Amino acid sequence: MAIKVKVGLIGALDMLKFKNMAKVRENVIQAAPANEITADYAINNHAKALHPDFQELVIDKVIEHEGAGAKTFLMRSKDGGPLAYFRAGQYLSLKLAIGGSSVSRPYSISSAPKDALKGVVSVTVRSNPGGFAAGYMLDEFKEGDAVLSSGPQGNFYYEPLRDPEHIVALAGGSGITPFLSMAQAIADGTEDFDLTILFGSRTRENILFKEELDELAAKCSKIHVVHVLSDEKADGFENGFITADLIRKYAKAPYSVFVCGPEAMYKFLVGELDKLGLPKKNIRCEMLGVTKKIAEHDGFPVEAKGKTFAIKVRQGAAEYDIKASAEEPILVAVERAGITAPSRCRSGECGWCRSKVLSGTYFAPAENENRRWADVRWDYIHPCATFPTSDMVIEVPAEYVPK
Amino acid sequence: MDHYDIVVVGAGNAGLSAALHCAVEGKKVLLIEQHNLPGGCATSFRRGRFEFEPSLHELCDIGSADDPAEIRQMMMDYGVEVDWKEVPDCFRIITKYSDGSPMDVSMPFGCENFIDKMEYYVPGSRAKMEEYFELLNETMAGTAYISNSNGHADSNVLKEKYPNLLRTGAYPVSKVWKAMGMPQKCCDIMSTYWGYLGVDMDRMAFIHYCNMFMKYVLRAAYIPAHTSHEISNAMVERLRELGADIWYNCRAEEFLFDGDQLCGVRTSCGTVTCDYALANINPDIIYAKMVPKELIPEREKKLSAARGKNYSARMFTVYVGLNKTAEELGIKDYCIFMADTSGSVQEYKNILGGYDRNNFSIFLCNNIVNPDCSPAGTSMGFFTSMGNREEWSDLSPEDYVAYKNKYAKKFIRMLKERAGIDIEPYIEEICVATPWTFARYLGTPEGSVYGYETAEWDAMMARMMMLNEDYPIKGLRPIGAAGPRGDGYSSAYVCGRLMARLALRDLKEERR
Repeated sequence: MAIKVKVGLIGALDMLKFKNMAKVRENVIQAAPANEITADYAINNHAKALHPDFQELVIDKVIEHEGAGAKTFLMRSKDGGPLAYFRAGQYLSLKLAIGGSSVSRPYSISSAPKDALKGVVSVTVRSNPGGFAAGYMLDEFKEGDAVLSSGPQGNFYYEPLRDPEHIVALAGGSGITPFLSMAQAIADGTEDFDLTILFGSRTRENILFKEELDELAAKCSKIHVVHVLSDEKADGFENGFITADLIRKYAKAPYSVFVCGPEAMYKFLVGELDKLGLPKKNIRCEMLGVTKKIAEHDGFPVEAKGKTFAIKVRQGAAEYDIKASAEEPILVAVERAGITAPSRCRSGECGWCRSKVLSGTYFAPAENENRRWADVRWDYIHPCATFPTSDMVIEVPAEYVPK
Repeated sequence: MDHYDIVVVGAGNAGLSAALHCAVEGKKVLLIEQHNLPGGCATSFRRGRFEFEPSLHELCDIGSADDPAEIRQMMMDYGVEVDWKEVPDCFRIITKYSDGSPMDVSMPFGCENFIDKMEYYVPGSRAKMEEYFELLNETMAGTAYISNSNGHADSNVLKEKYPNLLRTGAYPVSKVWKAMGMPQKCCDIMSTYWGYLGVDMDRMAFIHYCNMFMKYVLRAAYIPAHTSHEISNAMVERLRELGADIWYNCRAEEFLFDGDQLCGVRTSCGTVTCDYALANINPDIIYAKMVPKELIPEREKKLSAARGKNYSARMFTVYVGLNKTAEELGIKDYCIFMADTSGSVQEYKNILGGYDRNNFSIFLCNNIVNPDCSPAGTSMGFFTSMGNREEWSDLSPEDYVAYKNKYAKKFIRMLKERAGIDIEPYIEEICVATPWTFARYLGTPEGSVYGYETAEWDAMMARMMMLNEDYPIKGLRPIGAAGPRGDGYSSAYVCGRLMARLALRDLKEERR
């Protein structure tokens, strides 16, 4: 049965209407004014402000933390305008030109999110043995210096849709900084959760931000700070390491554990956290970087140990030949060669440095494996957490920098 | 730097498809992309132990391996392999019929199945539905004919072979239903897909709706086994094999002209010379920011003004990684539409009414199609809704997180109240993307993903008929959701290929 559908009274007129569709459209177009075309959208401007390609900062003040081997750099925006608002716990990736290298380092923001709107942000840098960039910053950074930073990055923050109202923060050394930001955000009403910080330091002298933390705890009933000293016994301080028992002592169920500290602390905590039997969703660890002793890693191919490989790096129309040690992440070799490459977390997590392997082999340690399925399938790597095990040809994307 | 035949700006679906078409045709192609990932919307992101699909609900026009439909065939032509997984049903929708009575229906794929199920929900509808499918088939066949004629369809062929297309094509969906005497409850159920096109049934061209509806119902729907990033990466891989260059983290800043003929693109990675550029960018942005003012034709200014920045679908999505399986959570359906009413006109108004009135969301659980898409013992999914211009324009950065979380919470609670699925205690990872997120990532106006609203005068067919009139700048064509095929994953792939074909035709004519 052939159907005949008419929408109007007379089908032939419907056909005419169809035929005239283009004409109708043309009439609508011709009836419109020939105004200048603009493309400025509030939504896009908000998005850009929240996620800038980079932020140009100037060091306003350098605060030395006596005894802790650390400095806090208070920075303001170069143009005096607001900086990107962030979630307490996020980090900035600082871009540094050291000698002929162009390197990045992630630092948790230690200031409050509200300060960013006033154009102010701060990070704390602690010396670490052999720390190339940290040493440079501690020695060289002074008031008035320009610093190039990323926008706020990372997922290490309190998320009310996911987390219970009580967070037990396990901090070690300069790992206190994201929690200092969180505590300020709680105190000033930006965030609303209960934060108990178990803060591991060696001795009373080593405690970073002690005054600030104690002040915040005294001011706000939602903030609790417990100092845990490993190398000293003192009244009013816990002694030893942060253990499961200690967490139980201070935690109010239900709670989540947030961890930020040095590699040794993470290693110790693995067993302790197991004892607590918390579901995975209640344990959140800030990224740690990549192990410095990759040659001792279980999966590392022994034959690559101590070797240096040639890597051809393609970036847009440019091509570079560089040397890379098997025991250093590929990103380090790329940076050392003075190539401006994208990177943020330097832990294999964020994927900002995602690059294509055109030839060659590599080792990517499982604890830093955060690649997408299709990237593993087609040989894309995160060079910040990948080690060369042969000569390679790779394609590295460009990075946005100020002009 | 090398000279390229074609520079494609933007590695979204249309850009990837356009670049592949040109590369397959032997052209020297450079594809530039502002991020370090291909795909635009068709990508993925990792949180904890989950890899999330950011955008794709279901891809139509894939068809089975034995009987490939347009997109599967296109990928085969390009030499791109994707592990497609079939979606089990059209949709489940929980809402109210126009008369206010509750609706909770699940519709299957397949013409017969669809008609049978409709008869079950709306007794006595069979004859009308059969007649309706006959009309849909004719309309779809006619559209294919027009699409393949590159803007030069023969009206005699149309009159003889597709008279019902001509009689209904210029009308909105609701008028055609009314003319056919379609039972209201059938209309209510079949309105479900309106959100996929972003226009209500009083303004959506029947021909456009028909094509999408039929592609789903007849050919079922598919998703890639490993998120859309699998499709995009596979396409990039093939491009590399064909000798194309791809530059990531590279933004096009300005199109360069020799007289009135495009001759290159200034990018953040340097200037590139080329014969032609295909730009996966909204035309308003191209004209406002990337082309010399004096080269913009009057008619293009009028076209932009007529569209009046009426961008469609400012997306709002909530991604959840759950530490229980779909089975444990009682999730049985891949796709659940939730709305206050099935009446699309009212529901569209509700969405544009902002937080207080927007109770529209679609919940998808990827594990129903692909049980292994998340680690053992877990499941994952996402909610999709839309937002209005004002609420997301007037928001301040300080209030942003609280506002988006309030929205997210509403949809999570709605799933519990309306579908009896409580995910709240099991959220291990959550990520809320708003029009701000899409604006930042895609660079589209207001974070809209559908280009210009494809309403009435500016619907797909009318645009297709004017392929040779719109965008007359020599050597530059916009592609993507704002293009002639309108929005949607498959439309963008088709649009990319269509515009690439036109570009190659232009280049050939120019040589002559």
